[in-house]
Amino acid sequence: MKQSTPIKIGLKIPENPDDIQEYTKEVIHTLSRHVTLTEDNRRRIKLILIELVTNSIKHSEDPDAEIRLTINHPQLTIEKVDVGLQIKFRSDEQIPFEEINKTIKVDFTRFNSLNIKILNPYRFRFLDGYKENMDIEHLPEHFGFYIITRASDNFEYHHDPRSKENTFIVNVKL
Amino acid sequence: MKLSKQTINDVLVIVIENKEANLSKSEQFKEMMFKDIEDGSHNLVISFENVEYLDSSFLGALVAVLKKLLPLKGKLVLTHLNEDIRNLFELTRLDKIFSIESNIEISLQQF
Repeated sequence: MKQSTPIKIGLKIPENPDDIQEYTKEVIHTLSRHVTLTEDNRRRIKLILIELVTNSIKHSEDPDAEIRLTINHPQLTIEKVDVGLQIKFRSDEQIPFEEINKTIKVDFTRFNSLNIKILNPYRFRFLDGYKENMDIEHLPEHFGFYIITRASDNFEYHHDPRSKENTFIVNVKL
Repeated sequence: MKLSKQTINDVLVIVIENKEANLSKSEQFKEMMFKDIEDGSHNLVISFENVEYLDSSFLGALVAVLKKLLPLKGKLVLTHLNEDIRNLFELTRLDKIFSIESNIEISLQQF
């Protein structure tokens, strides 16, 4: 019988990219013990996990970085949490933001620009800013955040300036 | 990164032998492809028949290869994508950018 109260699970992130696939299988298996996953949800969650973990391996220096799952039916929240420097953009605007509720375009790297909506000085939501007919020359070469945005129902980032905790928060409707 | 290669009718057919097309292999893959292109191979087929999953880093490497071929008027066809990988291309809308075919034989007909 599936539980009705929120279920929280914390899982340490692997350090080796070649362990990601097994890790993803383990997480989905753990989830399946608590909630029934459709094939579509399974696929979306797998994509989200692969990209969150890949991002962590690439950019986080926190050996205790963790994936946290919260099942509060009908919503699954997947969080990637680490402690360290906040996200930095190549563009002018940085965290803490001054203007709230604004939608801006930020550059993460040379071929990686995304639109975000500022929710508070330390929190923003990733937006799907797909452009039709983009020519090959101007295609991005980094797709991690874009994949998570497209695979989820909501994808946000939050930095806590006191604890230095960085959290990527991904919501998927089950 | 393990690749097997053969040339068929002036097309370089590359089969990725690894199960994972991911962060640990994407940079090396890109370098290997760039070298082949610089050595004169401008028509490429890349087969993912052994690949179980592919991540954003590898997608980025494929885009970089496509961009490298652009000024050379080269062509790249991807083939044997499993359902998950195909789904990833559709999710990112890269299925509208890359030529994707079901097998090597059909891919070779694109040249």
